[in-house]
Amino acid sequence: MPPLVSASKLTKKYGDLVAVDGIDFEILEGECFGFLGPNGAGKTTTVRMIHCVSPLTSGTLTVAGHPAAIDNRALKQITGVIPQEINLDNDLTVFENLVVFARFFDVGRREAKTRISELLRFVELEAKAASKISDLSTGMKRRLLIARALINRPRVIVADEPTTGLDPQARHLIWQRLRQLKSQGTTLVLTTQYMEEAQQLCDRLVVMYQGKILKAGTPSRLVEEEIGREVVEVRMPPEDDARILAELSAFSCVHERVGDTLYFYCRDGHALMRKLLELDLPNTLNRPATLEDVFLKLTGRSLHE
Amino acid sequence: MSLSYRVLYVFLRNLYSYKRFVVPTFLVSLVEPLFYLITFGIGMGAYMGAFGGKPYLHFLVPGVLATAVMMSSSFECLYGTYIKIVHEKVYESLIATPVSADEAVAGDILWGSFRGLISGSLMMIVALFMGVAPASPGRFVLLLVFMVFVGILFGSLAMIVTSIAPSFDFFSYYTELVITPMMFFSGVFFPLDNFPGWMKTMAGFMPLTHVVRISRSLFTGEPAPGIWGSLAGLVVLTAVIFGISTRMMRKRLIK
Repeated sequence: MPPLVSASKLTKKYGDLVAVDGIDFEILEGECFGFLGPNGAGKTTTVRMIHCVSPLTSGTLTVAGHPAAIDNRALKQITGVIPQEINLDNDLTVFENLVVFARFFDVGRREAKTRISELLRFVELEAKAASKISDLSTGMKRRLLIARALINRPRVIVADEPTTGLDPQARHLIWQRLRQLKSQGTTLVLTTQYMEEAQQLCDRLVVMYQGKILKAGTPSRLVEEEIGREVVEVRMPPEDDARILAELSAFSCVHERVGDTLYFYCRDGHALMRKLLELDLPNTLNRPATLEDVFLKLTGRSLHE
Repeated sequence: MSLSYRVLYVFLRNLYSYKRFVVPTFLVSLVEPLFYLITFGIGMGAYMGAFGGKPYLHFLVPGVLATAVMMSSSFECLYGTYIKIVHEKVYESLIATPVSADEAVAGDILWGSFRGLISGSLMMIVALFMGVAPASPGRFVLLLVFMVFVGILFGSLAMIVTSIAPSFDFFSYYTELVITPMMFFSGVFFPLDNFPGWMKTMAGFMPLTHVVRISRSLFTGEPAPGIWGSLAGLVVLTAVIFGISTRMMRKRLIK
């Protein structure tokens, strides 16, 4: 089966600024594909090109066999967008927001009503149908955005940081719904800065930084390849680094010093831990490696401002 | 340009949201022109004697009506559209659907024109009560059609300003430097005959001058000299301005 979305040397420039720098990727039908990266990495710009609201500067990008381009109505018709910024229509009620959107997609009135009651149930907002948008919590607004993105029964959903600013309950509800959609065969394209979100949802992902793709793969594979199985963190002043590292030379661990912490990435953290305790370094932590470690290793630990 | 029946969807979206504001906006769009009619028409008019054989109010109404249409459609496409772009992000969600940016803009211009039509019609009702009416039922209908057209003209013009507006404050330049002078120098309150030549020429470049000329002759029933030229000029101008406005808005909306 050919990929649903396929990009080759995809580039986007804003004047002199290169937002997306010649990236290649393929998204398969039915999978959840993630774009991971710090602010300004080019994730949003990339997905905006996928859902045809931003023209490409160069390269090729096809969705469902069509070239992605502004005013490509056929593509917009099969795409649902969950935007990063909440852009619900504040002048309208919950129900009216969906009615108006259904019309934009040429969904007939009766069909729209059926879909709307279905969707409101799906995102658990049945009781809020007549509410004003200003009366909704952020979590409810985000759920309504999901319902709105589904009004045209899309083949592919683009979710741009769909859980930003939500509490854990609201976030988990959204994750469940997105997984549910995927299990029904919808392709998900997700951008996120939350590693947990990526790990929870994505089948495959790419890590983006400064407009480029640094790594691609499944979440577990990336962790395994880039970090190993475990991470040992040692909080200690940097003056002792040389002495400690000499003591640990027998261990085949990669290490990294960041601020007050010395990080060790290794297959087996237990042996290292025992040794550290012998060296009288009590302020240590052994934990499984996560996507966050991969992310920080690849994109650096300094602030991206 | 990418236009289709979806323009109507955008218009309907606006109509939907309008339900909540009908009463206040009706009042607002009625009050100012009404003041003009009362103060100038009835108050001042009493001292002015006959004006072309009729009370001054008959001269004033067609001009004030045209001004009301201009104001309403302009303000809608300035402030209304700006809010929808910058604050409410309505445009952003619109252009992610099969609705194109051109259709979103055209729908909003049409909406601005509709608001102009409402203001003009309200004025007309007031004028009827004051005993001023178009020359015939046929011209009454023509006047309604003409108001829609005038709304599209000034809505499109305002849209160009909105397309480059960095903030709300920017609109004061346009309203103070373009809209207000037009209101005073386009023959709304007095005939242009006594202006020096250069001012007449200047007035000739103001679209409102021609709008008022046409509006007035729909009331008097007598075609003013040069009226077909005015109409032709306005049609061409509107087409050009509409084209420019969608183009410039596309630049603002699609990056």
